[in-house]
Amino acid sequence: MEKAKISITQLFVLILLFEQGDSMLLPLAMEVKQDSWISILLSTIGGVLLFLVYYRLYRYFPNVLPTDYFQKIVGKVLGKGLAFLYILYFVYFSARLLRSFGEILGIFVYPFTPLIFINIFMVIVVVYTVRKGIEVLSRTAELLFIVLLFLSVTGLILVSSSGLINIHNLTPVLENGISPILKNVFTETLYIPFGELIVFTMIFPYLNSSKKVKSIGVVSVILSGMNLAFGAALNIGVLGTHLASRYQFPLLTTMQSIQILQFLERLDVYFLIALIIGCFFKIALFFYAAVIGISDLFKIREPSQVSYPLGFVVLFLSIQMASSYSEQLQEELKILPLAIQLPFQVIIPILLLIIAFFKNKKNH
Amino acid sequence: MYFKRNKQNKNQQNVQNHTTEEKISSSLTANLDWIKKKTGESSDLVIRPIKAGVNFDLNATIVFIEGIVEGASINDFLIKSILSYQNWKEVIATEQIFDIISEQVISLGSTKKICEWNDLFLSLMAGESIILVDGVVGALSASTTGGEKRSVSEPTAENVVRGPQQAFTESIRTNTGLVRRIIKNPDLWLESLKIGKMTNTDVAIMFIKGTANEKVVEEVRSRLQRIDIDSILESGYIEQLVEDQTLTTFPTLYHTQRPDAVAGNLLEGRIAIFVDGTPYVLLAPAVFIQFFQSTEDYYTRFDIATSIRLLRVIIFIISILGPAIYIAATTFHQEMIPTQLLVIIAAQRESVPFPTLIEAFIMEVVFEILREAGIRLPKVVGSTVSIVGALVIGQAAVQAGIVSPVMVIVVAITAMANFATPAFSIAISARLIRFLFMFVAAVFGFYGIVLGIIMLIVHLCSLRSFGTPYMTPLAPFIPANIGDSIVRQPLWAINKRPKLISKENETREGHGLKPQPDDERGMKNSTLKKGDQNEV
Amino acid sequence: MKCKTFFLSLMISSILFITGCWSQKELNDLAIVSAFAIDKNESEKNKGRYEVTLQVINPGNVAGSLQGGGGQTPPISTYTSTANTILIASRELSKKVSRKRYYAHTNLVVISEKLAREEGITRVLDAIERSPEFRTTAQIVIAHNAKAADIVKILTPIDKISSNDVIKTIKFTEDIWGEVVKVNLQDVIRALVTPGKEPVITGFRILGSKDKGSKLENIQDTKPSGNIDANGIAIFKEGKLIGWFHNKTSRGVSWILNKIKTTAVAVDWEEEKEAIVYNVIRQKTKVKADMEKGSPVISIHTEVEGDIGEVNTSIKLSDRDTLFKIEKSFEKEIKEEIKQAVKQAKKNQSDIFGFGEKVYRANPTEWKNLEQDWNEVHFPKAKIRVSVEAFVRRTGLTKESYISDLENK
Repeated sequence: MEKAKISITQLFVLILLFEQGDSMLLPLAMEVKQDSWISILLSTIGGVLLFLVYYRLYRYFPNVLPTDYFQKIVGKVLGKGLAFLYILYFVYFSARLLRSFGEILGIFVYPFTPLIFINIFMVIVVVYTVRKGIEVLSRTAELLFIVLLFLSVTGLILVSSSGLINIHNLTPVLENGISPILKNVFTETLYIPFGELIVFTMIFPYLNSSKKVKSIGVVSVILSGMNLAFGAALNIGVLGTHLASRYQFPLLTTMQSIQILQFLERLDVYFLIALIIGCFFKIALFFYAAVIGISDLFKIREPSQVSYPLGFVVLFLSIQMASSYSEQLQEELKILPLAIQLPFQVIIPILLLIIAFFKNKKNH
Repeated sequence: MYFKRNKQNKNQQNVQNHTTEEKISSSLTANLDWIKKKTGESSDLVIRPIKAGVNFDLNATIVFIEGIVEGASINDFLIKSILSYQNWKEVIATEQIFDIISEQVISLGSTKKICEWNDLFLSLMAGESIILVDGVVGALSASTTGGEKRSVSEPTAENVVRGPQQAFTESIRTNTGLVRRIIKNPDLWLESLKIGKMTNTDVAIMFIKGTANEKVVEEVRSRLQRIDIDSILESGYIEQLVEDQTLTTFPTLYHTQRPDAVAGNLLEGRIAIFVDGTPYVLLAPAVFIQFFQSTEDYYTRFDIATSIRLLRVIIFIISILGPAIYIAATTFHQEMIPTQLLVIIAAQRESVPFPTLIEAFIMEVVFEILREAGIRLPKVVGSTVSIVGALVIGQAAVQAGIVSPVMVIVVAITAMANFATPAFSIAISARLIRFLFMFVAAVFGFYGIVLGIIMLIVHLCSLRSFGTPYMTPLAPFIPANIGDSIVRQPLWAINKRPKLISKENETREGHGLKPQPDDERGMKNSTLKKGDQNEV
Repeated sequence: MKCKTFFLSLMISSILFITGCWSQKELNDLAIVSAFAIDKNESEKNKGRYEVTLQVINPGNVAGSLQGGGGQTPPISTYTSTANTILIASRELSKKVSRKRYYAHTNLVVISEKLAREEGITRVLDAIERSPEFRTTAQIVIAHNAKAADIVKILTPIDKISSNDVIKTIKFTEDIWGEVVKVNLQDVIRALVTPGKEPVITGFRILGSKDKGSKLENIQDTKPSGNIDANGIAIFKEGKLIGWFHNKTSRGVSWILNKIKTTAVAVDWEEEKEAIVYNVIRQKTKVKADMEKGSPVISIHTEVEGDIGEVNTSIKLSDRDTLFKIEKSFEKEIKEEIKQAVKQAKKNQSDIFGFGEKVYRANPTEWKNLEQDWNEVHFPKAKIRVSVEAFVRRTGLTKESYISDLENK
């Protein structure tokens, strides 16, 4: 574990940036068409509950990384195995995110550049950052958060002032009732933006005070959920359900539709900047969790030595993962949530919490 | 002016140590011989024999180096006083003679008794006069330091419109005096060191006790004492030997020529390092935001100060990213540019044979050449160069079709932005980084620029200056200090000192300083007294 | 350690010299396409294939006027090629153009009427929507009684780039007159896909000689021999063009679609034909769909505000009651236009107004029953209630017209 400390504000900013990262990439909850924002809001509640589970685990073992306290809860062998599985999970997701990110750049900005070169550049920056440690990452997050905030606010102003939003596109509300929405929540939206908060279990031990973590954490989860829901609603408001569900990146098309004053057009650069910043943070956080997990589990003194080889692994994994973007998306939205994310993000932490709870009771 | 390797230095030192162990002997002739031998009988060494004592039976000599002493004080206060002293008692040559001379005879400001050769030569070379008496061990040194010095004038590099127009000079005493005149407080402590084997340069640390962070003061002291080098020619040497990290283009120590800037920073809890022989004073620790502030911000009112500070941020961004954005937009992301503008730029580029990156590179290099020429030229030829520069670059290159007019505009704006950055050290960093971004933009377009910015921010966030994170107060975010960083709140609102720099003494202002007009004026119902009306 | 940094810098610097990177496009390697025209080829050899014409900007000649000189060669050039699909035709054009085609600034897509009638527009739009370079905010126009290629060949006097002429004409006509609608690609596809709505697209035709219109002499004449103007609205059904609306009918469509910004409505007054003209300043049209006894009822409510623009008869404008009476006749006139538009659409069995979509949004369950035969059965039978409220606020600088004085003389 590093000898670093991060503050509550930095945690707040990290959570917000982390959640933001993916939202531009995936067309979330498109199955329920114009009710996608409702689906996201409902899964925010689930997200808050999951956050509280992770937080409680942290409270049982403050100042210790999960790779350590897994062993304390379920015994050495099983704990180490579980920790190793989680590290693989982080590496896999870091690579998956890298792949999605490279794909989106390859689709609309650099169609002729091979994927590996787009990804290599991102990996270099991520490795460079992670080598410097979590403190530097959090400070960078604080600065870039201001940039992202500025972009979002101005983007919103631009979209609304170009008269593109048509509220009626959001009707009819709850067309098919609440059950498809609930189904969507539990198969898709709960895991993709919110379940990934599990990464933060690796970050909690670095907090310099555990006083306000719960309230600030919950607030940031709710805020990011609202942000995502608002984004989804905006997309549907501007494009309409039929278009929004067919486009790979609805938010991009929304930004592209802005036409003001005949010179503020074709603003996809906006989207590009926000995308790069958001994805960078998510990939960096997953990568950091993997690096620090490995160095903790295998007792390596200099975590930065691990980052180079792991960077290569992530890079090549991202290329190998899927042979086309459709395969990637299909895996991501249909197979992964139930097969991997449900156990790793929900079931195992809850089980661990229950065991820890009983063990704690026994000790007192 | 090269650095000598530290190893060689050690050898020399060993040789010297052999003789400096010895104390000054009592034989006058032996002492004088040794002095002459050591200085190689330099032609500006003056040995002035003098007789003192009752019946003039004491042989004394005054030794000094001409040119670095104040001739008048030697004549009037040293020689004259000794020669005209009437009250010599029956004194045998003992140690007491020096006490008598210094306390009763000579009327100079400060005197010091010396026992070792090392100290003697240090004093002699510093411009003090040495008094040797035959038969007495030791010597007396009297301060007669003088010589030609530049007088206090306007700052050459940091001009402000409103504010004091004084700048430091090369003499360390004058400089410390200028700061003392602003902060008239006994808590302003000064510690002196001599650094540099050959040059024995005076270096002084100044800080306000109780406000400056003790740990940082200790750190500064220990780093200075650790320096083992031949020569300190300028404060830049100290800066490079003491800074936190060398592998970065960003400075971690602030330097300035203005006493009010030093005073302001001292009051915030920083430590000033004065170096004799240069008007540039160092300030530690330094944070990134500091390089975008100028003392003028505090003397003007808050609205204009805030706007100018925000403008400076924009200026800095332009000076780093200007050509890079142009290259990225015209080679990768042409859709960003409005159609009309794109057509114009395309028309201009038709005639240019080079790809955009090479064109930008050529223009930038030419501009750097012009800038260097402007610094090196004697003033007489200055105007010619500006005409040549404008003609060559502006007109001829465009008309010859080597560069496009748009490129010239972009480069010119970037250069202007670079000049407008208040701190020179940051402007230099920006120059180097600009080239890096240009290359990155040419290879990867906007994606490259954004990743480059992220890397730059990561790098900045990882720097520390004497323990303080470089990007305070933005990251880590300290809300209490934001009022004085990018924006400038009205003076009555900035009541706390920067938290990470001055841990001890945080409050700098009282409360309730906001100027309020007289309560009776304005739209007030003057028939009601306070307490009568329906207050909530 | 030294070796490591050395090799690292060597690697990095070698990347820098491959500045001809994959996705990089130098500006002077690009042909900036300003308009994209799609036709059906009529010749024997290529019957039935798509003919794509590009309108490419010559930057030197466009910017030339600002720096003096230029004007000897036209500001745009056109190139044509034929193939079975749009994308292949567009790529084959590289044989004719000395640059790479760059579509990010293509603001206009022209589709010929023949193609729209016979085959429909559904097949040609996918390549445009899928491409990341092509903007979905590009405007679409139908070439009325002409080949799309001819429309993009015409040179226009005011705008150097004639696609700008078309775009601006549509924009300003929609703003001040209203017989046209400004649609971009996104709107068309949305209308095609949404059940209960059909697209409408503005038409452009060529006046005068199309051969002379593409020559430079055309713009050197005060009255150009070949010119283009906006003419009518094309209505579609299931992707195929089935008819044209002109004049008042097309303005009726604009009213219902809430696209009118300002316009002028002329009414008769006491045996004088078209004696008073109403300057519409702003309007708002709301369409609501309700279900009454299982069948849909659409209510269209328009609120209009404006001034009196022109008076050709003696009438006491300073009298408030007269103004109220005038308002009534305006309301009647506008109501007529709207009704006319609806009648025509019903006759063509194409719901171009999106009434079906409104029913869906208000009553999704009922809509399921109506969706199938909406255009043929339910839409023509649907009851439409139109109500208009017109307000006259001001009368310009004068009160009564001087004509009143003339009559008294």
